Amino acid sequence: MTMTIANSLDDVLSGLANGARPIAGGTDLVVGSRQGKGALPDHLIAIDRVHELATIDVGDAGTRIGSGVTHATLMTNPTVVDSFTAIADAAALVGSPATRNVGTIGGNVMNGSPAMDTGAPLVVLNARAELRTLESTRLVHLDELWVGPGRTSAQKNELCTALVIPQQPESSGSAYVRLEYRRTMEIAIVGAAAAITLDDGIIRSAHVALTAVAPTILTVEGLAPLIGKPVDETTLATVAELASEQAAPISDLRASERYRRQMIGVMASRAVDAAARRAGGETLSVPVNRALGVGAQS
Amino acid sequence: MAVTDLPEFIRADGPDKVTGSGRYTADMTLTGQLVAKFKYGGVSHGRITRLDVTAARAIPGVFAVLTAADVPDVRYSYGLADRTLFATDIIRFEGEIVAAVAAINADIAQQALDAIELDIEMLEPVVDLEAAIADGAPLVHENIDSYEVTGDTPHSGNVATHSSISMGDAEAAMTNAATVVTSRYLADASHATPIEPRAVIAQWEGDKVTVWTSTQVPFDARAGVCETLELPTSKVRIIAPHLGGGFGGKCGAHFEPHIAALARVAKRPVKLVFSRWEEFIAPDRRREAMIIDVTTGVDADGHIVARTGEILLDNGAYMADSSFFAQAAAMHVAGPYVIPNVHIDAKLIYTNHQPSGSVRAPTAPQGCWAVESHTDEIAKAIGMDALEFRRKNIVTSASTGCVGQTYDEIGLDQCLELATTSAGWGTELPEGEALGISVGWWPSFAAPAGAYAKLHGDGTVQVITGASECGTGSVMTLRMLAADEIGIDETAIELIYQDTGAAPAGPGSSGSQTLFNHGRAVEKASQMVADQLRELAAAQLEANAGDIVLENGAASVAGSPAISIPIVELAAASETGELLGSAAADAIEWPEITGSTCLGEQGFSSWLAPQFSCHVARVRVDADTGVTRVLEVHAVHDSGTILNPVAAHGQVEGGVMMGVGQALTEGTRYDERGHQLNAGLLEYKLQTIADAPTITTQFVEIFTNNAGPRGAKGLAEAPNVATCGAVNNAIANATGVRVRQLPMTAERVWTAMNNPEAST
Repeated sequence: MTMTIANSLDDVLSGLANGARPIAGGTDLVVGSRQGKGALPDHLIAIDRVHELATIDVGDAGTRIGSGVTHATLMTNPTVVDSFTAIADAAALVGSPATRNVGTIGGNVMNGSPAMDTGAPLVVLNARAELRTLESTRLVHLDELWVGPGRTSAQKNELCTALVIPQQPESSGSAYVRLEYRRTMEIAIVGAAAAITLDDGIIRSAHVALTAVAPTILTVEGLAPLIGKPVDETTLATVAELASEQAAPISDLRASERYRRQMIGVMASRAVDAAARRAGGETLSVPVNRALGVGAQS
Repeated sequence: MAVTDLPEFIRADGPDKVTGSGRYTADMTLTGQLVAKFKYGGVSHGRITRLDVTAARAIPGVFAVLTAADVPDVRYSYGLADRTLFATDIIRFEGEIVAAVAAINADIAQQALDAIELDIEMLEPVVDLEAAIADGAPLVHENIDSYEVTGDTPHSGNVATHSSISMGDAEAAMTNAATVVTSRYLADASHATPIEPRAVIAQWEGDKVTVWTSTQVPFDARAGVCETLELPTSKVRIIAPHLGGGFGGKCGAHFEPHIAALARVAKRPVKLVFSRWEEFIAPDRRREAMIIDVTTGVDADGHIVARTGEILLDNGAYMADSSFFAQAAAMHVAGPYVIPNVHIDAKLIYTNHQPSGSVRAPTAPQGCWAVESHTDEIAKAIGMDALEFRRKNIVTSASTGCVGQTYDEIGLDQCLELATTSAGWGTELPEGEALGISVGWWPSFAAPAGAYAKLHGDGTVQVITGASECGTGSVMTLRMLAADEIGIDETAIELIYQDTGAAPAGPGSSGSQTLFNHGRAVEKASQMVADQLRELAAAQLEANAGDIVLENGAASVAGSPAISIPIVELAAASETGELLGSAAADAIEWPEITGSTCLGEQGFSSWLAPQFSCHVARVRVDADTGVTRVLEVHAVHDSGTILNPVAAHGQVEGGVMMGVGQALTEGTRYDERGHQLNAGLLEYKLQTIADAPTITTQFVEIFTNNAGPRGAKGLAEAPNVATCGAVNNAIANATGVRVRQLPMTAERVWTAMNNPEAST
């Protein structure tokens, strides 16, 4: 086995062209290998020192979050916290401080787990993954990228270099809420992200995506009836119902199918409520799980 | 008292552990050392039809492959000698060791495991407690009648031991009771989960073996090696480097004999380090699952008049040290209450699960959780406040408890008042929040222990003790005792411990006994040194030895501190240049019990220096999800005199946190064939620091006769007893529903709230 430390993006792309696999924080790859999920690749190329992958740039096309940006950065970066709060909510819930300091958003996205916390926020914010090779660059919608649990449509020689997120309209807000049994070192039992744009308190657009209830991050369909309505008990109940209906959860050690199906409704309505409150100018601290008060110290 | 008000106390082992310079067993490397790995049965119940290690032995780099055929044919375990080092014929749980290999590296050791040819005929596993004692149930031990029996261990079929405690006429009293309440509770199994997985290294020199091991009990580990490998005590030395936690799970001998046997055959040092998965499945120590049925009758005034109970405990496949569990569980279901008529039956049942064994206050968290939940159900049934009901019924000084033991001065009533006052019992709380009360108890244990003390010519002291420091800080407290007796600063005291080659035997760190027993020995050995100092000082100061005061590093005559002799000068002037003391702790007489009968007596009916506690938990339940957060725990303990307040607060806080985990998230899940499904830290959810409630600790310090040094009782286990019950009562008060299975996971709370019929 070889491990090469790349100093530039070209190093990385050349390495991938020659069959190496990228490693950033290693929080999935190394841990998975130790758990026997799969052997480490024969050739690894470390991308954590490639500085151009670790920047957050605001441009005309939207905000470009480098794939090497860590969860620790995402949860505190002012652009992310102000404009794409759901991503900050999610990043702040990932693992432990150690995981967040080395784990990256690119690694999260390309690992393709349906339980990834940053996935649903990226979907509701209409993010696209930037995939590069030595020769080409393309932008792929995430629902086209994720094709199954742990599987993506990216080619072996493509590196995810960034997540590109369009600028959100005025009076927009987003939030990510998840069910957790403890407050750190936790993995989503179920989770939901929402992005809401308001017009004088009335919903102008609504996007909801769900974590850990299907083989990939699931986008909730049929939210059109919410448009033109205020965020109230009725609209939140509609969201909960749609989420519960469309979820395809499994029973496992973490929860039964029945409980997950009920909980995804609760999480989805909480996410919409929190996103709408943020859209209305209210400040809810990151992560919103804590701001909602469950378990907060009194 | 807030921790910040306490006197500063520096642990001798603290800087090493915090900076990383301290060495644990897994950190050690010996020249030529081999890697050990175990071949596990992998099935919970099966018959070995073929076991061939020829191919494994032939692999280059493999130095030893052992099976039952390669070690003495010895059956061991207290109570019933039901176990051998390696499976002989029947595999009785998935983590049972069939063979052990030692190889030059981990890869080759794994290759050797893979090359072992093992055929197993599957047998029907026994996994359900009630089915296990039904007629015609398959037997976990077919030949149980041939096993050697120790102690009062009534057994038959899958019942490993049966204990009942009886006083008065419970049946008649129940018939006459004004109100009768019956409850059923189920507790899942759980684990000790120390942060350090087990590690063992063995090295032979000639016919003597030294074993470095992550044990809480070096002398028990030595006894286990000697018994199973048929070696004399003098040929086995056990050394425990720094220990990364134990919580009872590292009691007993477990893998020291296997590694010593491997090293003898391999003629090289052999090292074993467990993976976290092995740490979950292989040890014969886990907290037992239980089914608890309890019925209580109260009179019109709300006094308990009778209690009956049936308890089934999951013993798993082997006894380990569990022979007292049935009786201990019966005592906890009886509880620290004045109950004139009691009949409780408890059966410890063999199953094809991992063996149960000591985990911090064995049987108590589950038993207390059940009976304290039941207590609130009784109070509710008669319309009485839960605090008032306990005030009326708990044991107090001079009262007689459930097995006819009459107590000296005890502080349970003070614990109850202080904890409920601290928590603000009765005040209005925000929606979704509530308080819950639980009282608990736990005995102290007197056991033989010895100590040496040496005052060197330079004024420093070595205290050599059989005590073990598994994190409780109690060994550190031994320095304080010695310093106080000899009159020098504790920083001048060096402890030699966790080495059977150096110290007199003792119970180590188990059963909250470290300070209780080793402390009394250290105190006495130090007094012997102090007596010699007084004699030497008396001669120089022309006074009576009895009038000599030793303090601040000097000897002086009482009342004349101005004229003094430094202790260092006295030591140097002694004939041998050092002063020696050696002593054993005195035997302590156990309290009497009258008016009761106990079947299956295992030393758990009469409680020496009993400890009492009251925990009040404040919880917040998220009604939509059932997620419960414990916000506050107010813990008040009567553990006698508190000698080391910093360590005592640490014990209570750790015990409460362990209790919160057991209450909410920690439970082992099994498939229908008896395999653990969550044998890892991702799915077996411990609490984290971020989940920690605010813990407010107080001590009711009552000097206790027949106790440990200076009136101290034990403390390490007691804080782990009452938390689960307090949390359940708080959940019930917050939601109006009762959760009947431990741990009270979010889904179980939610199910109880939304579909009470579906919840168990």
